[in-house]
Amino acid sequence: MSIAETTMDLSREDEQRLYREEMTIARKYIGPFPVVMALWCFTNLACWLSLWPLVIFNIIPLWAGFIIATVNVALCYLPSHEAQHSNYAAPGKPLRWLNELIGYVSTIPLVLPFKLARYTHMLHHKHTNDPKLDPDYEVIAATWWQAAWKTVRRMQPGFPNSYGVVLSENADDPAAQRAGLEGALQSLAYWTILCTLAWSGFALEAAFLWWVPRLLGLVYISLFLSWWPHHPMNEMGRYRNTRSFKYKFGNILAFGMEHHIVHHLHPGMPLNRNAPAFREMRPILEARGCRLEDH
Amino acid sequence: MALLRALFPWGPVFFGIGFLAPLIATIMGALNIPAPLGLSEIHIGLAIGAMWGLIAKFGGRWI
Repeated sequence: MSIAETTMDLSREDEQRLYREEMTIARKYIGPFPVVMALWCFTNLACWLSLWPLVIFNIIPLWAGFIIATVNVALCYLPSHEAQHSNYAAPGKPLRWLNELIGYVSTIPLVLPFKLARYTHMLHHKHTNDPKLDPDYEVIAATWWQAAWKTVRRMQPGFPNSYGVVLSENADDPAAQRAGLEGALQSLAYWTILCTLAWSGFALEAAFLWWVPRLLGLVYISLFLSWWPHHPMNEMGRYRNTRSFKYKFGNILAFGMEHHIVHHLHPGMPLNRNAPAFREMRPILEARGCRLEDH
Repeated sequence: MALLRALFPWGPVFFGIGFLAPLIATIMGALNIPAPLGLSEIHIGLAIGAMWGLIAKFGGRWI
């Protein structure tokens, strides 16, 4: 993507000056190891795992476990998202193993295979809002409730799986083959564990600590990570393919996606540093004609 | 992989029998809903789960 791909009529000098200023700000926030996101991964996973003995031994009621598990599932994607971008450690770095570990274990509650998530997410960044090439384009809808309902429809067995379609189209790519194999094995393991628990007398626990929370979490994640930041998904280009927005219930419930535009501009910046970077970059983004909505 | 490819299209039926059946039986037991016709809760669960799985497989949707 060229830095000249903006919608504003800027001179070449202005383009270069804005780009330099943007990069100067970005470098301040990209560097340090994202401790918050790493702690988020392991704390969230430990909380979800601890629910199983707590509920099975009647230390907490199932309804309380269900609520906490649903929150855990919804929260588990974002640390893995950082790993998809190699934000804990790039290939060849000493902590690369930690990057990959977080990528794999963080989304266990969500049953989202890491390699599949990384493969499709990189395509999303490369082809954001392209109807044919963006694997997340399926979520397009006029309103948030239509987007939520569409996510439910996408879970139905007869609906084409957009990630599966991407893997089929790239069947000759070894990375796609690996992602497909890991995805199939992880799904198989998930269904096997659920069925084993159910036939062992833990059907309610399996349903309300994993199966239903996962369905709810998938809808929430799809809504706030795919639909809201890219809506209405009708523009492409570095400075127009996503937006900042103001969510009326706050940025925490929006998973920090109010400043998603900063993520698309600088994917190497951890989520918890997007907001201060956005505030600092705002004059530059305004000069670029970015979609700063409801701010 | 060939085996997985052959089995995955039947996933909804396996899910209906493997998960929904014991879940339905457990819920019936928890809510004290008696199984009709002298059947047990798991018989009802297996009947509903298998049927629902077949509907999902051939109809393309659970709901």
